[in-house]
Amino acid sequence: MFFSAVRRIGVTLFFLVAALLAQATAQDLGKAPAGVIADQQEVIASLASKVDALQKKVEENSEDDAGLVDIRLQLEELSRSLLQSAVAFRPRLNEINARLEQLGKPPAEGKPPEAAVVTSERENLTAEKAEINAVLGVAENLSIRIDKLTGQITEIRRHLFQNLLTKRYEINFALAFEVMQAFKAEMTDLYSTVSSWIRFVVSFKLKSMLAATFCALAAAAVIIIGGRRMFGRLFEADSRVEEPSYLSRLSVAFWSTLMQTSALVVFLGVTYFLFDYFAVLRGDIGSMLSSLFYVIAIVFFVSRLGMAVLSPKLPNWRLIPVESGAARWLMLLIIATAFFTGLDYFLSSVYQVLGSPVALTVGEALASTVIIGVLVVLIGLVKPFVDEDGRPKPWPRLIRYVLLTLGGVTIVAALLGYIGLARFVSQQIVVTGAILATMYIGFLSSQAINEEDAFIKTTVGRRIKRMFALDDTTLDQLGLVTSIVINLLVLVVGVPLILFQWGFQPGDMITWLYRIGTGFQIGSFNFSPAGILSGIVVFALGYFLTRWFQGWLDGSVMARGKVDAGVRNSIRVAVGYAGVALAGLIAISAAGIDLSNLALVAGALSLGIGFGLQNVVSNFVSGLILLAERPFKVGDWIVAGAVSGTVKKISVRATEIETFQRQSVILPNSELINSAVGNWTHRNKLGRVDIKVGVAYDSDVKRAYEIMLDIARSHPMVLKNPEPFVLFANFGPAALEFEIRFFLADLLGSNTVQNDIRFAVIDAFARAHIDIPSTARAHDTKPAEKWPADDEQVEAQVAEVEEARSKRAAEATAGRKPGKSKKPDPE
Amino acid sequence: MNRFLVATGALFLAMSGAAHAASAVNLDSEPRTLIVTEGGSKTELALAAGETVEFCSNGCFVTMPNGDREALTGAETVEISGGVARIK
Repeated sequence: MFFSAVRRIGVTLFFLVAALLAQATAQDLGKAPAGVIADQQEVIASLASKVDALQKKVEENSEDDAGLVDIRLQLEELSRSLLQSAVAFRPRLNEINARLEQLGKPPAEGKPPEAAVVTSERENLTAEKAEINAVLGVAENLSIRIDKLTGQITEIRRHLFQNLLTKRYEINFALAFEVMQAFKAEMTDLYSTVSSWIRFVVSFKLKSMLAATFCALAAAAVIIIGGRRMFGRLFEADSRVEEPSYLSRLSVAFWSTLMQTSALVVFLGVTYFLFDYFAVLRGDIGSMLSSLFYVIAIVFFVSRLGMAVLSPKLPNWRLIPVESGAARWLMLLIIATAFFTGLDYFLSSVYQVLGSPVALTVGEALASTVIIGVLVVLIGLVKPFVDEDGRPKPWPRLIRYVLLTLGGVTIVAALLGYIGLARFVSQQIVVTGAILATMYIGFLSSQAINEEDAFIKTTVGRRIKRMFALDDTTLDQLGLVTSIVINLLVLVVGVPLILFQWGFQPGDMITWLYRIGTGFQIGSFNFSPAGILSGIVVFALGYFLTRWFQGWLDGSVMARGKVDAGVRNSIRVAVGYAGVALAGLIAISAAGIDLSNLALVAGALSLGIGFGLQNVVSNFVSGLILLAERPFKVGDWIVAGAVSGTVKKISVRATEIETFQRQSVILPNSELINSAVGNWTHRNKLGRVDIKVGVAYDSDVKRAYEIMLDIARSHPMVLKNPEPFVLFANFGPAALEFEIRFFLADLLGSNTVQNDIRFAVIDAFARAHIDIPSTARAHDTKPAEKWPADDEQVEAQVAEVEEARSKRAAEATAGRKPGKSKKPDPE
Repeated sequence: MNRFLVATGALFLAMSGAAHAASAVNLDSEPRTLIVTEGGSKTELALAAGETVEFCSNGCFVTMPNGDREALTGAETVEISGGVARIK
């Protein structure tokens, strides 16, 4: 029952949707082609009328900077919608073009004529296209007009700014009386405005106002409590801590400023928004209230920042090592400066709202800017530091001079009547100064994190260490990355803020960024940082991908496939180089560098490169051949010319060989390819060892032969097949020369075996009384000398013999070489 | 560590991918000229045979070699072949 109901509903829904879709398609089809043109013509006409209106507005508002910015934004919006409406023609244009192509060109003279339908259709289409082109032409002209108007606004704003800075007001005693009177009148006005508003609120909007305030308080509380929960005691100066580290002082300064200011900003913002939403505000009160909120936020921010940096109550937590008294005094001066700047700003907006006389604005600005200038000069004159003798020391010279100059300029400009300039400078001192100070703290903290092991000691560092189980080196590197990120963040946030303060619009900044990002032309080469950055990123990605693939191939596939170590190494190296080359090529094309240009350059230079890099290229090719042919692999014992040792690494240019004295020899690959290379361990490690033995002429030679053969056979390391063999090599001048020849399975361990056999031969010969003659002492049977007549001669002879003996002993010790390896080397 | 790098890389790629200008390709064997109206001025954009040029980062109006007019938003590719332009 239930299922059938569901099915019925489903079918009904399906038909409903299908019907709707069919209707929609029918509408699309039914839309006359001319409709697009008519529609867009209408849109463009309405846009044009809006532009006309805006142009008039520009002329009216040529004194109002904020109004001009607003108009500019509207113009940009218009420009975008104009483009949208122009783009709307594209589908129709494409259709027309495609159809015209199908119809082909009209037949040339002398050719048979085409059907009348075709001709008429072509004419219709061409006419429609011409119409569209005409409309697009109108749109194009309109876009030029909009852009020109935007340029005009920029020009007017520049003039306004210039006027603001250079306009001079007459300042004299008459002004003072005028100001006093106007001030009284305006304050009465202000009082009546505000009180009437309060009456209105109390009688009509009390509930919504209370609700709005409560909501705003709740939002601010969320930030404060949430921040406290997240960062704990990270942003509170703890008076119990004796010596907080620089980093913790910085983070406390930074976070306490940020959290509290943002909470306040959220509170004010939400309050304003909700007041506006519930229509609590009226026009004049709204703009006064917004400037009041702005001023409160700025003054609060500056005082928090000063508090954080100077920390007048807790000397341990001070960021700048100033004296406590000076810190208190500086704090006062800074807050006063911020307060007076804010007051000036607020009053000027009040005057604007109330339409006060210019004299009042000038007089008030004169007073406040002079006060601010004096405050700044006082800040510059404070002696915050202490020198070695305990006497107060002023600021560093640069800071002092900058402060004194700024304060002086403000006072002088105000007194001369350049009120606009003085006001601008004083506002910049407070706002730009605060932003710069915050940025400076940010830079300092990034520097502090950059210090070795500093990141590990922070709370965040410890938390990351616990969460990801990282070792200290990785954390240290992470600290480095963090410091770079903080630096970037400070720049990205701070620089636009300062530019914004200086009158640049966000749109301007985005356009600059875009210009810088998309690139600029140097000659015929298009240099684009974004492209190059993406190229680098692509290369890094390709590199890591290659490394990962290499590791996977080597560790998982080839290791499991029991592939020979040499082949494994060759494949690994080849894959690595191929991957990096591929990543490089992709990165170059991602960076927007045209490879065909590169090919041209390469072609021109190839001759030069051919000569200049002959060796490198030949080594490179030899390296590829070595990888492919594999005459030796890593771990082989090879002899190449004078070098004999184990192969450690085969790279593309050179091969690293470690001799048995542990000397690394880097041998260019071309030498390994062009000359003979001996490989003791090419197919297997089997090899023959020859040991020469001399037997005295009067010994039992047969017995000696048997002893030697026996010794060779009985050694466990000597191979049974091929069999050991003793060669009677020569009737030497001093002895009968024999050679014990035997094969070892692993030639690398031959030294031990040789030692064993030599010791065994000496022992066995001694037991069998077989002599091993020595040429040095070859049975010299000199007649015994008579008792010497001359004592001195004998002494000299004895001394000679002694000397010779000691010399031999010294030579013997010098000949022995120190070895520290566990296993003796084969040579 | 590698994972961090890869993540940042992807971010950068996404960011750099977002910023693109329109490009014009001349597939003909002779030079062609586009008239571009951008930022309040008309400029002639000459394209040599086989050349590719990036232009029009914020939207513009273009007059094609055969007199057709088009508006570009700044993400298209204009292909000129046989004096006729096609937008992709």
